[in-house]
Amino acid sequence: MNRLGRLLALAAVLTLGATPRGAAQGGSGSFSADAVVVTVGMTIATIQDLTFGSVPKGVATTVTPAGATAGQWQITGNPNAFVTIAFTLPTVLTNIQALPGSTMPISFGLTSALWRRANNNPAGANAFSPALGTVGRFGPPANATINIWIGGTVNPAAAAKPGIYQGTVILSLTYL
Amino acid sequence: MKRAVWLAAVLGFFLGPAGSALAAQGVMVAPHAVYIDHRVRSGSVLLYNPGTEPVEVTISTLFAYPTTDSAGAIGLDTLPADSAASALGWIQAFPRRLTVAPLERQTVRLLARPPAGLADGEYWVRLVIAAKAGTIPITGVSDTTAIQVGLTLQVRTIIGIAYRKGPVTTGVTLSNVRARLLNDTTLVTQSRLVRRGNAAFVGTVRGTIVDSTGTIRASFFTPLGVYFTMEPRIASTIAKLPRGRYWLRYEVVAEREDLDPSVVLRAPTARDSVRLVVP
Repeated sequence: MNRLGRLLALAAVLTLGATPRGAAQGGSGSFSADAVVVTVGMTIATIQDLTFGSVPKGVATTVTPAGATAGQWQITGNPNAFVTIAFTLPTVLTNIQALPGSTMPISFGLTSALWRRANNNPAGANAFSPALGTVGRFGPPANATINIWIGGTVNPAAAAKPGIYQGTVILSLTYL
Repeated sequence: MKRAVWLAAVLGFFLGPAGSALAAQGVMVAPHAVYIDHRVRSGSVLLYNPGTEPVEVTISTLFAYPTTDSAGAIGLDTLPADSAASALGWIQAFPRRLTVAPLERQTVRLLARPPAGLADGEYWVRLVIAAKAGTIPITGVSDTTAIQVGLTLQVRTIIGIAYRKGPVTTGVTLSNVRARLLNDTTLVTQSRLVRRGNAAFVGTVRGTIVDSTGTIRASFFTPLGVYFTMEPRIASTIAKLPRGRYWLRYEVVAEREDLDPSVVLRAPTARDSVRLVVP
């Protein structure tokens, strides 16, 4: 069992432990006298942030979703279940060290994101537009995971102010 | 005290030797579906932070349910025209903002205040658990002419909540089953599923391919929820089949491995079979 799998099982155990004594008994729990519900949860783990590092002024810099600095999540959940994968994406990044209004455009292409069942290798993953989202599917019982990668392009103007530009990407996963 | 010792032992087992921290950041949400009975009017969701940094969590709700598009792709309709089954206005979560410390768990309570005269049936809402784990550790820019770029990644886990009042029944009508091989090892099936009763059909689609001797050559299963009507297209990887004629046995059963059997409503199994020819 991989670490995320163990953590998922832990959630179920913690759920059992959280159950008050004397509560109704279910039919499938055998871990302890408190057992009521045996169920799995869902974990979205951010494996790696999307990082562009230092970028030259006036030149577009792209991180591909299969690149070494792409953002990556691993989701563990119910085997074979479908989930919607949706993103909330920034259109500009803000310089947190400069006066307000210092921004840099960021864009995401039609194939700037990847998803793959039960395998954390982006080579061979399914490409999709993060702006449009898609429906993914957990892997089979032996590896009930989905891996997601995202890249993007930043395009600092030639007159862009130096400093740290930041933004937020939100990944939403919905059980169907 | 016994429970504390037991929990420590369990944590040790799951987290590995020396309590080593998980490199990834996130929050675990369990269960992934909550059923609230009208007589109890409350429920709970457990959050657990397996990481090494505190996780800020925001809780909200929305009304949505799964549907399929014309190609059979499953999606979440967040603007459904029919909101008669919505519990959005009267199921609330507490707290709405919290911080889960590393290796700690917290409980989100769900409280229902249904309107007077609510008809028997099942009502739905989705719980949105938004987690933010710190920010990207970009160090100071030593070269004042440099531009550093980083993106913070946040996650939202969206799970279903169902509120049941009075007698609830469900079932599914199966029709128009079709199957084809997309390539040697990808089986694509699709069918029309119409929910019956006054509650969502939460179950599993099972498919089995048998040859002319009745021997099972491949099988697949997919958990599925039918809230009204859908025609899900399900692609499954199977072993390559030799040339020949086969039957796909397709059934929709009211069973779920991932849910407590007591919350899965009983319903008759819907079955059908179609020919599958491998040229």
